[in-house]
Amino acid sequence: MDKSLLSYINWGLLACMLLLYVVGVGNLYSASGTRVETGLAFNSFYQRQIIWGLCGLACMLLAMTFDYRQLRNLAWPFFLLTLLLLLLVPIAGKTVYGAKRWISLGFMSIQPSELAKLSVLVLAARLLARDSLPLGWKDFMSVLFICLLPCALIITQPDLGTTMLILLILAGMILFHGLRGYVLKTCLLAVPCVGAFMWFVGMHDYQRQRILTFLDPTTDPRGTGYHIIQSRIAIGSGELWGKGFKEGTQSQLRFLPERHSDFAVAVFGEEWGFVGCVALVTLFCLFLLSIFSTAVQAKDRFGSMLVVGVFFYFFWQILINMGMVIGIMPVVGIPLPFISYGGSATVVNFTLLGIVLNVSMRRFMFKG
Amino acid sequence: MFRKAKKSLLGAGEKPARKGIRSWLKIQVESEGYQPPRGGVILLQVLVGLLFFVFVVRFWYLQMHRGADFAQQAQNNRLRIERIFAPRGRIMDDQGKVLADNRTAYGLSLVREDCPDIPATLAQISAWSGIPLPQIWDKFRQDRFKVKSFEPLLMITDIDFDLVARIESEIYAWPGLEIVVRTKRSYPEKDLFAHVLGYVAEANEQEMAADSALAMGDLVGKQGLELELEKQLRGRKGLYDVEVDAHSRVLGKFLREEPRGGKEIRLSLDRDLQEAAWNALGGEAGCVVVMEPDTGKLRALVTSPAYDNNLFAAGISQRDWDALRTNSRYPLQNRVIQSVYPPGSVWKLVVAAMLLERGVNPRESVQCTGQVKLGNQIFRCWKRGGHGAQDMQSALINSCDVYFYQMGERMGIDKLEEFAKASGFGRPTGIDLPHEKSGLVPSKEWKRRRFGRPWVRGETYNVSIGQGYTLVTPVQMAVFVSGLLNGGELLKPQLLDDAQREVKGRIPAKASTLNFVVEAMRKTAGGGTARVVGRKDADMGGKTGTAQVVKLKMAANDRRLRTHEMEYAQRDHAWITTWGVKDGKSYVVVVMVEHGGGGSSVAGPVARKVYDHLFGPDPNAPAAPVVQAPASPGERAD
Repeated sequence: MDKSLLSYINWGLLACMLLLYVVGVGNLYSASGTRVETGLAFNSFYQRQIIWGLCGLACMLLAMTFDYRQLRNLAWPFFLLTLLLLLLVPIAGKTVYGAKRWISLGFMSIQPSELAKLSVLVLAARLLARDSLPLGWKDFMSVLFICLLPCALIITQPDLGTTMLILLILAGMILFHGLRGYVLKTCLLAVPCVGAFMWFVGMHDYQRQRILTFLDPTTDPRGTGYHIIQSRIAIGSGELWGKGFKEGTQSQLRFLPERHSDFAVAVFGEEWGFVGCVALVTLFCLFLLSIFSTAVQAKDRFGSMLVVGVFFYFFWQILINMGMVIGIMPVVGIPLPFISYGGSATVVNFTLLGIVLNVSMRRFMFKG
Repeated sequence: MFRKAKKSLLGAGEKPARKGIRSWLKIQVESEGYQPPRGGVILLQVLVGLLFFVFVVRFWYLQMHRGADFAQQAQNNRLRIERIFAPRGRIMDDQGKVLADNRTAYGLSLVREDCPDIPATLAQISAWSGIPLPQIWDKFRQDRFKVKSFEPLLMITDIDFDLVARIESEIYAWPGLEIVVRTKRSYPEKDLFAHVLGYVAEANEQEMAADSALAMGDLVGKQGLELELEKQLRGRKGLYDVEVDAHSRVLGKFLREEPRGGKEIRLSLDRDLQEAAWNALGGEAGCVVVMEPDTGKLRALVTSPAYDNNLFAAGISQRDWDALRTNSRYPLQNRVIQSVYPPGSVWKLVVAAMLLERGVNPRESVQCTGQVKLGNQIFRCWKRGGHGAQDMQSALINSCDVYFYQMGERMGIDKLEEFAKASGFGRPTGIDLPHEKSGLVPSKEWKRRRFGRPWVRGETYNVSIGQGYTLVTPVQMAVFVSGLLNGGELLKPQLLDDAQREVKGRIPAKASTLNFVVEAMRKTAGGGTARVVGRKDADMGGKTGTAQVVKLKMAANDRRLRTHEMEYAQRDHAWITTWGVKDGKSYVVVVMVEHGGGGSSVAGPVARKVYDHLFGPDPNAPAAPVVQAPASPGERAD
């Protein structure tokens, strides 16, 4: 690797990301504690998160070693491989919690839908990098339909969260790239219609229930609404300064559900209060802005689109997860990057950031 | 479609791919000077700005604006308040003998949330206790929603100790079940004080709604003093702050408030005297009131038949309840305060006092020929041959009906009504027991309202000798007689040892009037109809009464039927109101025997036995108990 490349690296992004990772592990340490008669008992979530983080950092370094423009060539084969795996899921997949999402490879299980996020992102970047003109109907539809293929397979697993995330990343990238005025207007009109269609035809009862409960959590305080109510209590009870590290009663006494994964940020809010939450939101925004700066500085359209894809990948997860935890979004099983526990998610996050750093490093390089 | 899309997107702007992996992997270099789309750049900046703004506002709302509220909710989540039962105050007699006690009882409760298999668990409860399963299910369904799912639901109570031991050894296999210890009320004297003490039972929904301190399973007074003194007896529960997790596991307990036991109550009643009076009644339906005329304190308050109030305290079965409710002798009725009777001749004390106050000369005589005619109606004296010339005192001593017919007629019903009401009749005495009856003092106005007909003169005759519509409770009678002795004060009958004397009214009569009536009672006990209670070693007074329940029943030969010849429900009520003073202690004893027959022959001996207990046996009494036989066949001393 050229040594000069390192001087171009986006150090701000690296700093934000490592800081978030450290905050996440610290928070998981606290969230792992449960109060028992004798004091606090910790389970091993935070230790595992550290190991996953190290794996992620390795993958990130790996993702920085090659020229990102190679990805442009790999986009289609990667995409087709993903489709193949997704097709295998209904045949060879194993069922966990009533959904078939995993393929067992013997020594480990992989989730093709995770792969789909990456391959759609890369392929969309390639497709959208073709020219600078706002998309007309034809191109818009082409991009949309190609990317809808994996989505159609994923939603039957069923996995609404991932499907939604892929579509949102795509939408973000398309919006960034730009649409012809009439296409944009038509889409804006179509969204409510598609929404209504989804509500009446495409959704499971439990999903509909979640949205209803989101609108009024008190209708089902013991069931679906329990998560939202307890999470709001946890965060709200942090008040200005929070209850202090490892002092959150909501999490330690197990009132807060999913406190390692989807609701991890509620533990943070309870223990660090308004001050901590504003700091965390600020950190996330700086993180997003540093990705954004790479997207703007990228030397080519493909790199820029790639980074924009990563930007939206993080943006939507932050918005949906934190929004859910603070009660302004319905409960959808989407983790918060760096804060929620999750092995493969951590690895994917670091890998994607490796790509962003890759783009930032090579922003002045023209020869491959 | 797939191909077409590929073509349109890949076809232009890209060089046709050359053959071979190497060339395929070759990086395509774009032209210099890439500028990101302006709209896209703004979009991203706006999105990040919005994210920041919305989240900070929301966090401010949750943590600052409503933070205190949520902090309270988190606290409520964390801490659960557990009650510590306060022992209910015991009730004792004047000597400290315990009449209402607390005992430990074991129960089995079910925490629904911790119970994985409710049907099997209920079946096991049934197997242990021997209570049929459907009954257990009924109890479960009935009480299920009265407690929260993490709170114990009391399934069976009062488990005997052997069974507790057995359940204890097997309970580990039944998560959600736990043995709970509660105190239960017990009444060692059972029937003897049943009506005075009443009983406690588990609070029902109305009681819980009305009193926030009550929770499911709490005992609350339902009758008698247990009800009347509920506030003092109950005490105050203590509180534990219990730190729990979301699965209700208890992690720590902190005492927040000590329980405060209820007040111990000492009654003015004397358990031994109560028993003596109970035995004296000998199972007859009736009642005995023993009262101190100077203080108003009650020394005995017996009503018979009674019931075992422990049945209620333990949770009465439907069968026992039905048996009590439908018993023709009304064991649930507290006859001292809840039953009203015609007073019969004891009423003559009231009428005599009224006559004196209205200026009647006590020496004025009335000729008793055994009957008085009013129109075509004949009003008889109890003595068929008549008493001859009777002044007021001899009319009281002999209980001459004709004297009172005529005098009552002369005064009229209005004056009689006014005096009787002022003397405490027709209204409750204010005793500390629930559901006291008022009795009835009839008047012209009352009759018009009640029957829509005017008062007739014959009715005044009847009322003058304590018949007709007049109804009194035995305790009213005791208060009145006490008033005669204490200078006219109508005292509230007190049940508590430390009760203050409380004057509820005055008999509207001069001291001389009261003295006259008291003297007449003394003479009646000395040699008149109440001589059954007379004794040499004490100053005694009395007045008997035989109150007709139905119109006079005449046998074919124009004589009154004897008591044993009549249906029980048609027999006369026997009354005696007495007072006795010995060694500076004075008592008023009122005995009423329902459908007992003659006052002197049935109620008298009961009162006598009570005095034997109060004053010791009469040293001058004949060996055989004194039972006054009717003076002559067909007549009964009244």
